[in-house]
Amino acid sequence: MRAWRRFRHHTPAMIGLGIILTFVVLAIAAPWISPYDPNAQDLGASIQGPSASHWLGADQLGRDIATRLMYGARISLLIGVLAVAIGLVIGVPLGMVAGYYGGWADLAISRLADMMFAFTSILLALTLVAVLGVSLQNVIIAVGISVIPVIIRLVRSSVLSLREEPYVEAARALGASNFRIITRHVFRNSLTPVLVHGTLSIGVSILLAAGLGFLGLGVQSPTAEWGTMLGEGRQFIFSAPHLTTFPGIAIFLAILAFNLLGDGLRDALDPRMRTVDGPAG
Amino acid sequence: MKGTAAHIVRTLLLSLITLFGVSVLIFLMLRVLPGDPARVLAGLNASEDQVARIRADLGLDDSLFSQYGSFLTGLLQGDLGQSARTSQPVTQEIGVRLPATLMLAVVATIIGTIAGVTAGVVAAVRRNSLVDHVISSVAMMGVSMPVYWLGLLLILLFAVTLGWLPAAGSGDPLSIVLPAVTLAAFSTALISRMTRASMLEVLGQDYVRTAEAKGAPPRTVIIRHALRNAFIPILTVISLQFGALLGGAVLTETVFGWPGIGRLLVDSIGARDFAVVQGIVLVYAAAFILLNVIVDVLYVVIDPRIRY
Amino acid sequence: MNTTTARRRNPRIRSLAAVAALGLLISACSVSDPEAPSSEGSEGGEDATFSIAVGIDPDTFDPAGQTTTTVSNMVDYVVETLVRINDEGEIEGVLAESFETSDDGLTITLGLREGVQFQDGTPFDAEAVVFNLERITDPDLTVPQGAAFAAFQSVTAVDDSTVEITLSQPSPGFVSALSATVAGMISPASVEAEGNTYQEYSHPIGTGPYVFGEYTAGESVTVTKYADYWGEEPYYQTVVFRVVPEAATRESLLLAGQVDMIILPPVSDIESLQGNDDVEVLLAESDRTIYIALDNNDPLLSNPQVRQALNYAVDKQTIIDSVLFGAAEELDAPMAPSLFGYCETGTYDYDPDRARQMLADAGAEGASLDLLTPSGRYVQDAQASEAIAGYLREVGLEVNVTTSDFPSFLARVTAPSSEQTVDMHLLGWAPAYLDADFQMQMFREATHPPAGLGTAFYTNPQVEELLAQADVETDRDTREQLYCDASQVIWDDAPWIFLWTQSFPIVHSAEVTGIGSTPVEKFDAIYARPAS
Repeated sequence: MRAWRRFRHHTPAMIGLGIILTFVVLAIAAPWISPYDPNAQDLGASIQGPSASHWLGADQLGRDIATRLMYGARISLLIGVLAVAIGLVIGVPLGMVAGYYGGWADLAISRLADMMFAFTSILLALTLVAVLGVSLQNVIIAVGISVIPVIIRLVRSSVLSLREEPYVEAARALGASNFRIITRHVFRNSLTPVLVHGTLSIGVSILLAAGLGFLGLGVQSPTAEWGTMLGEGRQFIFSAPHLTTFPGIAIFLAILAFNLLGDGLRDALDPRMRTVDGPAG
Repeated sequence: MKGTAAHIVRTLLLSLITLFGVSVLIFLMLRVLPGDPARVLAGLNASEDQVARIRADLGLDDSLFSQYGSFLTGLLQGDLGQSARTSQPVTQEIGVRLPATLMLAVVATIIGTIAGVTAGVVAAVRRNSLVDHVISSVAMMGVSMPVYWLGLLLILLFAVTLGWLPAAGSGDPLSIVLPAVTLAAFSTALISRMTRASMLEVLGQDYVRTAEAKGAPPRTVIIRHALRNAFIPILTVISLQFGALLGGAVLTETVFGWPGIGRLLVDSIGARDFAVVQGIVLVYAAAFILLNVIVDVLYVVIDPRIRY
Repeated sequence: MNTTTARRRNPRIRSLAAVAALGLLISACSVSDPEAPSSEGSEGGEDATFSIAVGIDPDTFDPAGQTTTTVSNMVDYVVETLVRINDEGEIEGVLAESFETSDDGLTITLGLREGVQFQDGTPFDAEAVVFNLERITDPDLTVPQGAAFAAFQSVTAVDDSTVEITLSQPSPGFVSALSATVAGMISPASVEAEGNTYQEYSHPIGTGPYVFGEYTAGESVTVTKYADYWGEEPYYQTVVFRVVPEAATRESLLLAGQVDMIILPPVSDIESLQGNDDVEVLLAESDRTIYIALDNNDPLLSNPQVRQALNYAVDKQTIIDSVLFGAAEELDAPMAPSLFGYCETGTYDYDPDRARQMLADAGAEGASLDLLTPSGRYVQDAQASEAIAGYLREVGLEVNVTTSDFPSFLARVTAPSSEQTVDMHLLGWAPAYLDADFQMQMFREATHPPAGLGTAFYTNPQVEELLAQADVETDRDTREQLYCDASQVIWDDAPWIFLWTQSFPIVHSAEVTGIGSTPVEKFDAIYARPAS
């Protein structure tokens, strides 16, 4: 398909894909790459900086940071991607309906979104855990639910203005059904804000999940996970900054990668994307 | 415009139902949580009699139905109850802290909007240049940097090393600078990315090229035509960020000792202070409804074709 | 599409206007506020302010409602108690000059200090003491720390400066308990002034060296010097307690010279602070014991051999050095050394081989245990639990560490024995006053959950007997010996993994002096003054 070919030639997107694949490979191959067990404590090496034996240093219990970053890649990426995916899968259709149909559908969905805004993820997570038990899955759900209303508002706002575009009117005049209009025209053109916000939300989701982990609501020590590592390093910010710097860089790279991918996806799918200085048409 | 007015009226009416739903939900959620508020309140050194006394005082021995009943009756009279932790009225606890959060949210949003929109426009206009890449990278760092990290670093630099700004608290008029900038970092990054993406969409459109062809100076083209039309998603993001900040940026308030609502909410959840949590969640719900109504009106102002 | 609408809203002009407004705002505010309290201590006693950064937001200023030491610490500036406990563990008079217990232990006679006034001008006299004691034992008032006064029966004012307390049974710890802030003396008239009521008392008026000024929620508490204080006059005119929840920020405030003193800096920075000439570090002794409570009813853990093995398996000193950065003292008794009734009962030195042997003998190798830990409640609690789990794994046990938020944690550990879901949990316990009788509650059947916090479900008939005797023993030395004997039995039984007493770090500017501490995790800075 034309879109796929465009995507494949989009350099930044390929870079993004490369970064993600690197993470995946590191995560899977970690047991072979690293000589350390991610949970092996060595109190004598507590908060040691980067050295020959610990390339990225050791954390407060002497565990090797590089190893923990590798093992943690799987969980962290899973959390970030799934939480945002939940937000998108539920938020995009709801936002479309609210923006396109307007009226009572819009009112109902918007008030539903307002309700979701009011409940912070801590409350949601605590309740989920109380009812369903502690699990990573519940944390992802709780974080995902906090993404949904944001996506609803974004999509709705895009659709509200796109609905009035001439080509939509034209399609309707030509007798296209609402469903076809939405999926073929409106959807593709409202992708941009969703992709931008979605990719940036991956990092936020990881950090949010980590915060919940501290309350015992999902990812807990000693499980290696980037957000948790960041949180554990908080008190060492002055004395041992490497405990926060390296997980932070990992999260930054992940966000960068998904952003680049998102850019590529958008460019590939949107037929009207042009450069300012490029040729017309 | 008439359609909009009707929309607003219908929204506000429906919001009553929404608030009612929120009140039921939060009431139930809190009572599902593990942990005994009386025991938490009494502290570890209290005797069992004391704990039982406190439990009775808080009305936790009554049936769920009657507890909700008294909550609702109070609510309808504007009384949100009493904080279990401090015995002060919840309206007072919230009222004292709300201005601080509001002020921080407003200042951070202003900074974020100005910086973010400017950066985004520049990045879009100079697409794929070095400037664009630098701005985009900085933006992505901005959203992946944990708040406490940036905040503490700023404190270290501007308060400890340079001594220019207060490290914490809200007493000194300058004390809003560091927390606002810390919060604005995330907002700026997000807004700039959204602005860039939105502008790029619009810059390729026919009417823009028409304006260029008509000889309008590039700056006018960008600002008057392109930005205006790209603004809808940008406004949405700005409002979402403002809403998030209104909800109280807990980490920032903690790091900077800022006496806001976010900290109160988290502390109250941790103390199982039901009345305060219920009150805050209701206030949030009302605030978000109001905010979204205002933003809906602004959408029409920017793009008058929009109808509800 | 939209080029011809009437509204020519130019975003650029709007932006410029906003920037200009912001700029004006900032420049107008950068003129420093002349009313802001200066934290310069060396400007002269007249208007000098001393500022202290603490980590929690006060919940109540009613002495009767106190549950947290930091808040009590603030109340202590305004409200005084009848007695206090000095560095040697002896009871000293404050508002009471003499305190005699009758031979049968049922009557306590207090001789009050004369010529003392409350801050509202009313006299401190026997009537006031009667009022206060009746208030904190009033069944209609919630007094979370009132359990220590359970033996109270009645109190009468014999004359203006003599008070007689009658007890329903001998209670040797009663007078010590009067040193706690909960037994602070407030002015009886004040329950109807300053917006106070008997039930809801938020503006304390006492006899202390400082008068309660104002409380800005979530932000600060201010007190000002009381001109007619009966005792030694403090130096500073104003003291401000600033609420700063983040430890690293507190440290920054101190290093930037924006406060004079902080408590509880980040533990990992203590070493560098000790090396910093601009500040002084006080690692104050505390009465808070940190331990791992073992479920003594669990089939595996009911065997004392197994419990002792767990004690041998953990290298507490290394954890203290590496994880707590030296901010703790290893336990050598089931209570902190600062308590009356403490005596050294032994050590469980790090001996993993011995631990493995003992576990093997008991048939416990490879056993699986759950460890529940709070997070962020005690110094390095979750991290220490992780480290401990690591040591237990090294001797062949399978350990699963979980954490939860504190109310959930409490709910789980205070469940009755039949509903218990945790094998072991980390807990910290600080008695309200420095007497072993309070600490010993942990080892009695009467406080097994859900009736209390003896969460190890430990009981030993010998210990019960010794403690019952000590409950009514009026002779100090005999009582001390009884507690010592009980401690020895408990130590050998090892109902806990005995860990450490955590230090209470106080850090202050090198430009001030006169700052100390009391071993109940309180700072003592009322008589702080400039160092030169």
